[in-house]
Amino acid sequence: MLAASIVSLSDLILVTGSNGFIGASVVENLLARGFTNLRLFVRPSSKLEKLKAILRKYPAGQTAEIVKGDLLSREDCQSAARDVAVIIHLAAGFEKSFAGAFMNSALATRNLIEAFLELGRPTRFVNVSSFAVYSNLKMERHALLDETCPLEDAPQERHDAYGFGKLQQEKIVRQYGEKNGLPFVILRPGAVYGPGKPDLSGRVGINTFGFFIHLGGGNELPLTYVDNCAEAITLAALQPGVDGETFNVVDDEILTSREFLAARKSVKPFFSIWIPYPLAYLGSVLWENYSKKSGGQLPPVFNRRRCAAEWQGNRYTNKKLRERLGWKQKVPLAEALKSFLAQYQ
Amino acid sequence: MMLRIAIIGCGKIADQHLLAFRRIGGGEVVALCDRELLMANQLGERFGVTACFADAAEMLRVVKPDVVHITTPPQGHFSLGKQCLEAGAHVYLEKPFTVTAPEAVELIRLAQSKNLKITAGHNYQFTLEMLEVRRLVSQDFLGGKPVHLESHWPYDLSDASYVGPILGSQTHWVRQLPGQLFHNLISHGIAKLAEFLGDDVKVTAHAHQSARLKNLNGQEVQDELRVLLCDENGTTAFFCFSTQVKPGQNYLRICGPKNSLFVDNSSGCLIRQNNQASKSYLIFFLPPLRNARQHLHNARVNAFNFITGRLHQDSGMKELIERFHQSIKTNGAPPIPYREIILTARIMDEVFAQIKAPAK
Repeated sequence: MLAASIVSLSDLILVTGSNGFIGASVVENLLARGFTNLRLFVRPSSKLEKLKAILRKYPAGQTAEIVKGDLLSREDCQSAARDVAVIIHLAAGFEKSFAGAFMNSALATRNLIEAFLELGRPTRFVNVSSFAVYSNLKMERHALLDETCPLEDAPQERHDAYGFGKLQQEKIVRQYGEKNGLPFVILRPGAVYGPGKPDLSGRVGINTFGFFIHLGGGNELPLTYVDNCAEAITLAALQPGVDGETFNVVDDEILTSREFLAARKSVKPFFSIWIPYPLAYLGSVLWENYSKKSGGQLPPVFNRRRCAAEWQGNRYTNKKLRERLGWKQKVPLAEALKSFLAQYQ
Repeated sequence: MMLRIAIIGCGKIADQHLLAFRRIGGGEVVALCDRELLMANQLGERFGVTACFADAAEMLRVVKPDVVHITTPPQGHFSLGKQCLEAGAHVYLEKPFTVTAPEAVELIRLAQSKNLKITAGHNYQFTLEMLEVRRLVSQDFLGGKPVHLESHWPYDLSDASYVGPILGSQTHWVRQLPGQLFHNLISHGIAKLAEFLGDDVKVTAHAHQSARLKNLNGQEVQDELRVLLCDENGTTAFFCFSTQVKPGQNYLRICGPKNSLFVDNSSGCLIRQNNQASKSYLIFFLPPLRNARQHLHNARVNAFNFITGRLHQDSGMKELIERFHQSIKTNGAPPIPYREIILTARIMDEVFAQIKAPAK
């Protein structure tokens, strides 16, 4: 337990997306810290075996309340937020369309915040965002990316519905913070990896054309192991004095894209081709120009903004995370990698 | 004449309409409206439209658009369509046109009484290969009225972004439709048949739930549908909607008394099946070679259309909208005859009455 926490162990904490890849790990982190009053929001169609297995491991897990619902329903949000002190908002929809991404991210968050302010005991709203909100277009290659870096200002040009949804979600959280006094913290995890998520981050490369194109090369990856990320999210929910702050979440020990891909291939080899960044950039420019010229005959899936954001390369820091939240990497890289790779065996 | 266009319903499909307007030209989007103002704002932000409304009546009163594209869930189509027509605007309604056939009839009568145009978003009837089919049929390639038709329409359940929310909530708007999943998906496939059928159609329908959907906790939702149709002239038709057939079949077969046509809407291919007899063992060699030549021709035509920019992922929608807007400007015939829109709705009504899903 933290030396100081904004809530007591018996305060009601709501976790949305609690059955998800990160959410289940956050639930376990809270239970391990001794929190006894958890409300876990899941989709009605969710299969809950993994979450229930975690709950069975802890005495307080037996009494955790599982609430099924849809965050686009105001009634469901009201049921979920009633009497809650802290919300850890992880629920995310992966939608290809911009409108769908907006609904699942921004509208759902608006509904949840309004219910929280109306019916909860608002002490902290932890909004889990993503590195997808950053723009890298005007930054140098391998520049340091921290919380002060510019955000994407044209997600439609980047053809990134997910990033658009997350940007709009952050905007709504900040608006409610300014206008309604919502006490919030925003977390932006990098590339979260771990068992249960077999797909490689798009920052490593893509599988679009039937074989793997490695685009990350020697770039550092903003890796964070799922349990380390969950630790950061839990600390953001508890730590006093960080309202209104934003934190990037990356581990101390990270790998380059090439090292990560090699580790992945060491378990189960597959064919891949490496495309150097200048060539990837040239291809993106040509694709983007053709897409514009042809009125979207080819959707702009490859473009300068995406290329810069995902494959230009950055260096990363977790200085603020360590200093302000007191975060420490719980799971060392070797152990994390072993656990991640085990899912392919 | 520049049309002043408004959109009601700023969900997923609205993006496609706005992109089509950009390609067509000849119109200006003057307003966006959604019951959830944030939805209208997000669309406006991305497409540079500043007039955003949460109330359709206010939008119609303030902006007075020439044409309104209604892209809301179908439950709102009838009332919104009526409201727009009464305000003097032409109406494009996304599919399904209305929830029931009587609503479709009433809307069309209202449009006619006010000398306004209305159409349904049956855009798959306007893809390049379907335009070619229409040309051939009008030139009597079939050698008379169609004898038999077949329309297959697939859906892939692995698209979790669509199916997930539907299965996840009993109150999802798709679950509230009389025909549930079918209601929102089959109108394209039925409309392709309605084009070639007479007005008096007998319907026999069967539906069930696939094992896959059952495994996905599909509850009362059905996802496999077969329909037999027969019109007053004896033309028969078969419609198949399936989530299980792989690869997904999206095609139309039109069998005539002389020749037949096969249209693969997935790959944009049209095969003319001529009634050419081959002697003896040549029947094993010549027809496959003729078919091979036609497939090669299709590949060549598609490549040419791609290079010249005609082949576009949304070419059907662009073509339909362009023709609809043109009919408004010239006071010409609407792109889809009203008879077909009503027949499609009637067939769907009858199908849903016959397959009635188990009580929710």
